[in-house]
Amino acid sequence: MVAKKLIIIAMLLMAQYSFTQNKQLLFGFNDIPQSVMINPSTTLDNNWFVGFPLLSHLHANFGASGMSAFDLFADDGRDFNTKVQNLVLRLDDNDFFTTTQQLDIFSGGFAFGRGVEKDRYLSFGMYVETDVVAYHPKDYAILALEGNAAHINRVFDLSDLNARGEAVSVLHVGVTKKMNKKLTIGARGKIYSSVFNVRSTRNRGSFITQEGQNNLLRHTFDLDLSVNTSGINSLTDDDTSDLSDDIKTIRKRMFFGGNLGLGIDLGFTYEASDQLTYEASLLDIGFIRHTKDIENYRVKGTYVYEGINPIFTEIADDQTAEDYWNEVADNFEDLFEVDTTRSKYTTWRPLKFNAAVRYKFGKKNTEDCNCLSKDGDYINAVGAQLYAIKRPKSPQLALTAFYYRRLFQGLNLKATYTVDSFSYKNVGLGISTQIGALNMFLLADNLLEYQNLAKAQSASLQFGINFIFGRSKN
Amino acid sequence: MLKRKRITQSILWMAILLLVSCVKDVDFDQAENFTLTPVAAASIVYTSVEASRFSENGIELETVTDTIRDIELFSDDFVLDHLVKAELIFESTNTINRTFGLQIDFLSESDEQLHTFSFDAAPSLTGDEVITTHTEVFEDASLEALKMTKNMVITLHLYPSSDGSILDENSIGSIALKSRGNFYFNVSL
Repeated sequence: MVAKKLIIIAMLLMAQYSFTQNKQLLFGFNDIPQSVMINPSTTLDNNWFVGFPLLSHLHANFGASGMSAFDLFADDGRDFNTKVQNLVLRLDDNDFFTTTQQLDIFSGGFAFGRGVEKDRYLSFGMYVETDVVAYHPKDYAILALEGNAAHINRVFDLSDLNARGEAVSVLHVGVTKKMNKKLTIGARGKIYSSVFNVRSTRNRGSFITQEGQNNLLRHTFDLDLSVNTSGINSLTDDDTSDLSDDIKTIRKRMFFGGNLGLGIDLGFTYEASDQLTYEASLLDIGFIRHTKDIENYRVKGTYVYEGINPIFTEIADDQTAEDYWNEVADNFEDLFEVDTTRSKYTTWRPLKFNAAVRYKFGKKNTEDCNCLSKDGDYINAVGAQLYAIKRPKSPQLALTAFYYRRLFQGLNLKATYTVDSFSYKNVGLGISTQIGALNMFLLADNLLEYQNLAKAQSASLQFGINFIFGRSKN
Repeated sequence: MLKRKRITQSILWMAILLLVSCVKDVDFDQAENFTLTPVAAASIVYTSVEASRFSENGIELETVTDTIRDIELFSDDFVLDHLVKAELIFESTNTINRTFGLQIDFLSESDEQLHTFSFDAAPSLTGDEVITTHTEVFEDASLEALKMTKNMVITLHLYPSSDGSILDENSIGSIALKSRGNFYFNVSL
């Protein structure tokens, strides 16, 4: 029963590959209303907007550091088992798989405040996010592939099992406020409702086989493994295995029937001159308190085993080998006994940090167009951007250089070049178009890999449709 | 109008770029051939018997024996399904100037003999350690016998000495037995 649940949890974790949450293309792309989700101080240049329900923003992304699907599945005639073995050995325990999806349910926003030049902007909405990160469980994989026979004296590190996954729905309201000519600040409050959460990030212990003293081998087990889950138990319960019931349960949790949490996003934008801008944001400073539908598993214990020592009963009629055997069996059962508890726990949301410097240049030639050029209306921008996300073992970082261009009214482009854990040559391209009130955008990265996605270590895609009204500069 | 055409064109190009992206030269069916082939090494039994304990009331014991009953390990479902080969390695260390026969019997639940093997631990003429190793390989028929094993009997035979001497309470030295197993698994996923 427990084993079945663990398998289901593992499948939930593995069924989705991993994603980075880096939205380098969207960051600062203020023609797109959803850019305010990456930095709450990003100033939207309109009076109000409303997102197309369910289509205002979809983001999907996967990543696997150190490998691509091609490494395993290339149709090259090599033995699949050999390829798996090579890969397991090549990757280290800091390599990871991640996946993220984000889907807007609804979104909207409007400018308000004093004066004709309204100095505040309120944006709100709700989205559903899934986020999974799993590190390469290297030592477990070696044990499964090769066993311990060829690894006498090797310490198998059981902390290599490190994974986390969750689905949450998020209701949010944010305000952007222009403090003075140079400084704009923003904050966004969030209420999280967890659909499910699985966490196994605090495993410790080791397993080692050495030459023994009394026997040829000595096995030393030192186990401290745990998995926390919330929202899984009722879904995998046999009594309620009806799929339509499960869907109802999930829907209820999306609308705040799940385990709840709170969070905040903060950001600022500082325009040092009309050409030079600095900006930074911290996203998802928040937690979720898991109190409902919890099931935690823990295995803890130490044991040293050298084999069975039979005592020959014809010589000394004390304990028989049988007793001894039973004692050994009991010890093993105790060692691997899984404690199941329902104690509450708290998870922190994956904290994200963005910072960028941007330089605008090249005013529009008024001969070319006499319709919209204004003071300070530069049509090019270049810049650099740093992204970091907190992960169980260490933060993941990405550095991006970008070029932004207003091609002509209603068509804006952004190109990015990103260096991250997955690739040193991630080229991305984003396009935002505005026809009347209809805004559409499409952002994709890792374009160099699109000729064969199987070779890509990561890729992300975002698109969305919004209706935007009252562009102040038009 | 011209602008709108250019916008439409740009969107088309972007769409084409994404549509021509594909997944080439890969064969995901390979995963069906995936098998795990771990080899597990595990300690089995060990013992050490002093020479003096082969004497009881001045009479030398010819054999000593002990039985390990209700062994679940070999009939575990995982072992039944996936164990393809096993090697049991026995090592004796003799410092007694006598030859011992070491016999291991594998018995079914009803104590019917399924498999047996034995080897001799050579005598130590000088009192130094004399090490004898025996590897018993279980494949095919013997592997099936191993998987049905529920009880194991370990017997130490003390062969008569060439000069007629016997072991008594004051005899020195010991006979020790150590063992390990290498268990070969094949798990198709």
